Amino acid sequence: MTLATDLQDLAYDLLDSGQVSVVIGYEVGPHNRVRPAFVRDKDGVDRLTWNEDCHHNLTVYLREHLRPGDTDRVAVVTKPADSRAINVLLAENAFSRDRLHVIGIACDGETPVVHDTLLGEPDTSPVSDPLTDELARLDELSPAARLDYWLNQFDRCIRCYACRQACPMCSCPTCLYERDDSLWVGMGTGLDEKRAFHLGRAFHLAGRCVDCNACEEACPVDIPIGLLNRKIADEMAQSFGHRAGLKPVLSPITTILSQEEG
Amino acid sequence: MTDLFEPKIVGFLCTWCSYTGADTAGISRFKSPWNLRAVRVPCSGRVAPELIMRAFGEGADGVLVLGCHIGECHYDSGNHRTAKRLPILQTLMTFAGLEPERLRLDWVSASEGERFARIVTEFTEDVRALGPCGWRQKTPLPDVELVGGAQ
Repeated sequence: MTLATDLQDLAYDLLDSGQVSVVIGYEVGPHNRVRPAFVRDKDGVDRLTWNEDCHHNLTVYLREHLRPGDTDRVAVVTKPADSRAINVLLAENAFSRDRLHVIGIACDGETPVVHDTLLGEPDTSPVSDPLTDELARLDELSPAARLDYWLNQFDRCIRCYACRQACPMCSCPTCLYERDDSLWVGMGTGLDEKRAFHLGRAFHLAGRCVDCNACEEACPVDIPIGLLNRKIADEMAQSFGHRAGLKPVLSPITTILSQEEG
Repeated sequence: MTDLFEPKIVGFLCTWCSYTGADTAGISRFKSPWNLRAVRVPCSGRVAPELIMRAFGEGADGVLVLGCHIGECHYDSGNHRTAKRLPILQTLMTFAGLEPERLRLDWVSASEGERFARIVTEFTEDVRALGPCGWRQKTPLPDVELVGGAQ
């Protein structure tokens, strides 16, 4: 029994018993590329797969599948980081927990913090984290050198918004950065506008980003968006003792100062 | 050449306190540098990060955000939000290559004219010491010759 077959069996049971109307998971598409799969029919569960290429954060689809007013339930395959995203979405009242069946998959040495069913064993081998070294290296640089580094990165951006689309937290009906009537941000491809977009997006994710890295995976020009997000996440941890998604609580940046902070 | 550099400072002043504080400074004849371009906002909580980035993007050498002291906000908690947001924005912009000293948040009440003048002077001198800001990336508008221009 592999994890994939366990997953298929579970999906079959959930669909067969009518507990959920759709299972959101991964399938292998053309050219052997893994893509999100929406299985609504119990006979289609064979499509579901699990391997190391399953990078998408599937919680990004939850808002549209769990609109208020509907009643059908949804099952979603989540990695540990993705399950933290569910906590953030719950804190922001994106949907109610009881309409969601979370199939947590333990991997990368972690167990999902939110799960109804748990599959797999957390891999205990130490996970390397190249971001920490890269952050330290950049912090050592002079401001001018850092400016240069980031301008070089942002210069490649084509404003395809793939990072935003891949992000479960980016859910504004109309994105501030994609409006032609935003007064303070442009939707053009000038370097300053691209920088404002990336820094602005990183800021909007302060205390909400769960470090799933789906944005960076989605980026066609390999901008190290994860570095920006990690920098802010570290700052949030230092300033507010807050790690996004460990509990269903709002980002401290959206709340007023507590007694001891005042 | 450096002594010819005059920093451009954009100040976002809360209308209920700091903006009135600036008036108080003027009425009381406290000298404050003319480098400050004051923008009157309804609350320091209205100063979105986009506004600050835009100010730097348009060529500001420093951005000063002044609001009411904590506990004195006209809207109860607007300045709480600023107090939380600005340090995070400062970290982010520093990481992207801005000197952190170019962005400052402080509190000035309507009666603190002397404090207003002191903060603006301090900040202007800090930014002057840093020199021109390299954040702006826009290509400058071409010099336009005035038709029948001024003498």
